[in-house]
Amino acid sequence: MPELPADAREFVDDLVGDRAAEWDLAGLIPDDVLRSLATRGLLCAEVPQASGGLGVSSAANGEFTAYVGSRCSSLRSVMTSQGMAAWTIQRLGNPQQHAEYLPKLAGGQLAAVAFSEPAAGSDLSAMTTTIEPDGDAVVVRGQKVWTTAAHYADMIVVVGRYGSGAAAVVVPASAPGVTVTRVPRPSGCRAAGHADVRLDDVRLPASAVLGGGQPLMLLVTTALAYGRLSVAWGCVGILRACLDAARHHARARQQFGRPLAQHQLVGRHLANLLTGEQIATRMCEHASRCWDSGSPDMVVASVLAKQVSAVQAAQGAAAAVQVLGSAAAHEGHAVERAYRDAKLMELIEGSTEICQLILSDHAVSMTAR
Amino acid sequence: MSQDLATTAEGIEQAVTAFVSKRVGADVPADQDLFESGLVSSLFAMELVVHLEQAFSVQILGDDLKRDNFRSVQAMTALVLRLNGAEQPADA
Ligand SMILES: Cc1cc2nc3c(=O)[nH]c(=O)nc-3n(C[C@H](O)[C@H](O)[C@H](O)COP(=O)(O)OP(=O)(O)OC[C@H]3O[C@@H](n4cnc5c(N)ncnc54)[C@H](O)[C@@H]3O)c2cc1C
Repeated sequence: MPELPADAREFVDDLVGDRAAEWDLAGLIPDDVLRSLATRGLLCAEVPQASGGLGVSSAANGEFTAYVGSRCSSLRSVMTSQGMAAWTIQRLGNPQQHAEYLPKLAGGQLAAVAFSEPAAGSDLSAMTTTIEPDGDAVVVRGQKVWTTAAHYADMIVVVGRYGSGAAAVVVPASAPGVTVTRVPRPSGCRAAGHADVRLDDVRLPASAVLGGGQPLMLLVTTALAYGRLSVAWGCVGILRACLDAARHHARARQQFGRPLAQHQLVGRHLANLLTGEQIATRMCEHASRCWDSGSPDMVVASVLAKQVSAVQAAQGAAAAVQVLGSAAAHEGHAVERAYRDAKLMELIEGSTEICQLILSDHAVSMTAR
Repeated sequence: MSQDLATTAEGIEQAVTAFVSKRVGADVPADQDLFESGLVSSLFAMELVVHLEQAFSVQILGDDLKRDNFRSVQAMTALVLRLNGAEQPADA
């Protein structure tokens, strides 16, 4: 498998620098930052080379996702959306659609994926958005909420009902009838461009429909598989940033005549952070190996990785805030951002509870080992 | 997966039956409706997709992902045979 460009991390460092806090406060990532990453194919690096992408492995892209996530969870969220859009198109689209969309996603355009609706959060089967054939066209009607990156996106992959099943449809953000309204002041991943997306009789060529007629939950499971693993790797990044900040602070800051790290109760936080980071990393590595070898276990492994990593990240970020004390009590501080961002990772792409339900189902149905 | 397994109906059916039976922990007749019998969750349905792709070197994309193609071992066997026979992935 091809490798990521050797300077990919340096490129991210140059782009992000110490500006993540500023973006968090402003609630915006500058367009040129997103475009320059997108143009190099780095926001969806698993897109095959034949489709104009970098074609790297899940393992390599995962480590890169964690790296971006350790710098800025908002940017990492945009990456997750872009990768999930590309994966959905790859999975559900036909070869013509691959040729139409994937080179654009690997070459500078930005995308978002919209499942959630006002009355369909955890229960996506309650989705009411419709994609209706009308001659050579389709008409899309519905209301999506909280679509990450929709504010920046050129195309929005919208999941809706299609006949007796479901389909996804690639909606240009500029199409007549599309209204993108930013979610005001989100509490975390603030610069990820979350927006509500209204679709009022949006007319598109039928060739924009990906698949069509699949069971809704199969389609959702398919699309989310990528998103879950990407979020999981993003949580590894959060844990690494928190561990780094906490251990440096605990070495440097003295209280009661010695470094904080030499107080055992503080040391326990550091031990827990390291443990959490390692557990999450191993789960993600395992899931990525399943993806890279085409193992059917990739589906469950991705849910497991997401579940474990999001819970560890939320706990780890809370521990890091504790270790830093007032040093982290500044809006926009890396650890303070991590605390807000990590908690939201327990809500999205299948909340902690929804992942537990999926895993309990799996536990019941799997064979004895 | 050997050449025969990947190309004859019996070979494919046997291999798919073995995978499904192992995964659900019960013998699964080739014509049993997996969805109606509640044996298949969305997660398992996607596992089936990935397994068939890997085991038989086929790509199951777009329209081929419909439920009917995964309804039973027989249906999956027919899908694999068709995809193996076709030059291009069927996507019309
Ligand atoms: C930062 C952020 C980014 C997002 N990005 C996207 C995006 O890009 N695209 C998109 O489509 N959506 C996106 N969403 C929406 C997200 O997917 C939903 O918020 C999520 O599915 C949960 O739905 P909900 O918020 O309506 O909570 P609810 O479904 O109302 O759940 C509330 C609580 O109840 C629990 N709960 C619900 N049902 C059960 C149950 N059966 N058993 C036990 N507990 C249960 C949940 O776990 C949760 O704790 C985003 C949300 C956020 C916050």
